[in-house]
Amino acid sequence: MDNKLLNIISNSNKDIDNQKLMDYLSGKLSAEEKYEIEKQMADSDFVNDAVEGLEDVKNKKDLSLFVEQLNTTLQKQLDKKKKRKKKRALKDQPWLYFAIILLLLLSIISYIVIKKSLENEKHIPSNLPRIEQK
Amino acid sequence: MQKLNHIDDKELLNRFYSDHNNDWLGELLPRYTLLLFGVCMKYLKNEEDAKDSVQQIFLKAINELHKYKVDYFKSWIYMIAKNHCLMKLRDKGKYSLEITERMSATVDSTEDKNVLIEKDNTLNEMQAALKQLNHEQAQCITLFYLQKRSYTEVAEKTGLSMMQVKSNIQNGKRNLKLLLEKKINHGQ
Repeated sequence: MDNKLLNIISNSNKDIDNQKLMDYLSGKLSAEEKYEIEKQMADSDFVNDAVEGLEDVKNKKDLSLFVEQLNTTLQKQLDKKKKRKKKRALKDQPWLYFAIILLLLLSIISYIVIKKSLENEKHIPSNLPRIEQK
Repeated sequence: MQKLNHIDDKELLNRFYSDHNNDWLGELLPRYTLLLFGVCMKYLKNEEDAKDSVQQIFLKAINELHKYKVDYFKSWIYMIAKNHCLMKLRDKGKYSLEITERMSATVDSTEDKNVLIEKDNTLNEMQAALKQLNHEQAQCITLFYLQKRSYTEVAEKTGLSMMQVKSNIQNGKRNLKLLLEKKINHGQ
């Protein structure tokens, strides 16, 4: 009795089992299982709204078909987004490599140029005194 | 993807946020197809409209999940669905209430309930609070929660309709919680 009293304010965190819900709608559940679903309805507006809406579906057998159709469309949507992402990644990569190579080349070239110009500067002063001696 | 059945929503979302792989959403979203379809049916009362809406809700959810971090998926997707349906009804002119789309989902208030349970005197307070409810609410709550009767049985015993039973249970529960919170806050 005591624990039951506390059940009123403690939410059952259990996630709803879709198959059980279908069975509830078609009246196939035992009294205990039926109570479990109704307890979840009392605990969550989401489940309550859903069951009330599902009870309005005329032919309960259509439900599994609807769910299957919706899940297939969803899967296609998700795959499409994934492919688009992959394609973009492939396209992006050559540019990335090109940019890296270009940067490397640029740094090598600038290294050589700077080194050469430094060497030239060194040569000039050593030549100068010779001119003065003349 | 059968092997993912045991992973809970939160973990699936975390995995999705760490690698942005849509496969995780491919496991998470179908868990709610039936519930979402039910919610859409409740508001739109038309099977085709409900199917279209579930698709749109999924699309919206996928886009939002790529952009924002969601903590409580169940409450969040329920809110998206409800808002979508209300918008649709408003467009049709059947619903004139102003809808504000709030993206921060409310938590199922499980946490504060646990806090309530931890209090020593909660049980006594509960019994006292139950007595303060109006007769119908107290009767429905007692039959449903304490005697574990189904909605139909409660309806038969009390002579109320199913809808009345449901709302008595829901309102009774809300009132109990309020009474309890008031007492606990008062005691502090």
